Amino acid sequence: MFTKLAAFAAVAGTAILASLTGCAIAPSEASAPVVTDVWIRAIPDTAVDGDMTGMFMTVENPTDEDIYLLGGTTDGTFTPRDLDAHEVVQDANGEMVMQDAEGGILIPAGGTTQLMPGGYHIMFWELSQPIPVGTDVHATLNFSNGTSVEVHATAMTVEMGQEKYVPSGAGMMP
Amino acid sequence: MSARDSRPDAGISRRSLLLGAGIAVGAAAIGDTVGQAARSAERETAIGSATEPFFGPHQAGIRTAMQAHGVFASFTFTDSCTVSTLAGVMKVATTEAERLTRGKPGLSDSDPELAANPARLTITFGFGHRVFALDGGALANRKPVGFDPLPSFVIDELDPAWSGGDLLIHVAADDPLTVSHAVRHMTRVVSSIAVPHYAQRGFVRAQGVAPHSVTPRNLLGHVDGVANPTSDADYDSHVWAAADAGWFAGGTQLVLRRISMNLPTWDLLGTTDKEKAIGRRLSNGAPLTGTSVNDQPDFEATTEDGLSVIPDFSHMRRAHTGEGRQLFLRRPFSYDDGFAADGTPNAGLLFTAYQQNITEQFLPVQQSLADFDLLNLWTTPIGSSEFVMPPGCNSGGYIGETLLG
Repeated sequence: MFTKLAAFAAVAGTAILASLTGCAIAPSEASAPVVTDVWIRAIPDTAVDGDMTGMFMTVENPTDEDIYLLGGTTDGTFTPRDLDAHEVVQDANGEMVMQDAEGGILIPAGGTTQLMPGGYHIMFWELSQPIPVGTDVHATLNFSNGTSVEVHATAMTVEMGQEKYVPSGAGMMP
Repeated sequence: MSARDSRPDAGISRRSLLLGAGIAVGAAAIGDTVGQAARSAERETAIGSATEPFFGPHQAGIRTAMQAHGVFASFTFTDSCTVSTLAGVMKVATTEAERLTRGKPGLSDSDPELAANPARLTITFGFGHRVFALDGGALANRKPVGFDPLPSFVIDELDPAWSGGDLLIHVAADDPLTVSHAVRHMTRVVSSIAVPHYAQRGFVRAQGVAPHSVTPRNLLGHVDGVANPTSDADYDSHVWAAADAGWFAGGTQLVLRRISMNLPTWDLLGTTDKEKAIGRRLSNGAPLTGTSVNDQPDFEATTEDGLSVIPDFSHMRRAHTGEGRQLFLRRPFSYDDGFAADGTPNAGLLFTAYQQNITEQFLPVQQSLADFDLLNLWTTPIGSSEFVMPPGCNSGGYIGETLLG
């Protein structure tokens, strides 16, 4: 179960990391990663398909420094929540589980990272309305070097694995 | 009719021939092993890397020079399909189809590695009659003139499994793996509003086997598709819906018929009888009154005995109804799906007719064939479908936008 406390822990962690890297590269001088091929899993019916979804894309880092994709924000059309950066990993029991990408999703210097079903994704929680196929979903992505990128995602059908969400902050709870 | 090139478009073949020639000459002149290796690799992938343009006033995959492999995938709308949800799906389907035809994986492609070799991939969309019944018939008054269900013909033995459908995705390429992947991905892309009905799979000759200028042969051994439209004027007057057709301008109407062939009984015939059944020579497709494939048939010519050289019952004679509107584009693929339960070949033709107006163009020809075509002894229509193929679109638009948008 995802708790507010866990969310706070995750956000606090990434905020600290962001401020650390932010010292190295002033936002005004930083180059934003290049984001292409953005799409989002369509949720035609929240009662059937659930009230959460993932956004996928290709992120290219043209700089000499590693950059982390921290998450994002929206105008609230589809979710009141901020967007989390997630990864899907194998847990100790060999099960695939979804969790916060600690410190964000690495976009290596001069490299490219794919966000795709079954792997890294940007998580939309608590959808307030369906996202039919073909819908244009707008979001702002935030990166560790202080830059942000506006994206438009096309909603598409995809069969997703049913990875259980494991809040990474759960173990840190007092 | 003037002499007609049998192929919808011969431009690609000329280009690839020139490319091939350039490679050969270049390699010989340089004699450089590294250069030769590079050029050899280029030659080996020339067919796989070739592309057909997706955007334009007309959909690709119709006037396009025939690819070696084709699938007509037909889907049935689910209850989720409305004008609005169909429009959303067509936006995404257009995005994904355009990417695949460039050799780029679809955005949601679960097997992106399979998208790397487009091999002149085209993905062409059509709608069945039911699109005009969506949302309680909201689009009923936009049904193109002449787009009506065909009547049943006495020769028909139609199987519902090979007939009809609400959404057509016609995929064709010069590579069967590329076709398979595209059909699989596009099936996923439309799955929120449509479920599979049939996939009819066919083929013509592979690339590099015969010049594009040579009309393909069907499994009866005959060349098939001789009297096709070739010029822009032909297409504008007979294939593409005219500018005054509203949303449908630039689109076309497709009749797809699955024609089963009784090859064991056909094979009992000698060459003369096979030629009389069609009215053309087996050797080069020339009419029995001519010497080359594009010669105009002379239906008045008689033998010394007073018999017609081209018999009245021949397929070509019956197909020439004498009406001005009989011209339509045929782009047929053969199918050979192994043996039927009785051991005979499960084989035949995926016949296609693309035209402005089914009622005016295909229907009279088909009626004439059904009434009195000797070829009916060896061929049986076992599937029949009609689709409206919307016009093409430009970047930023989507196929079907003029109807659904």
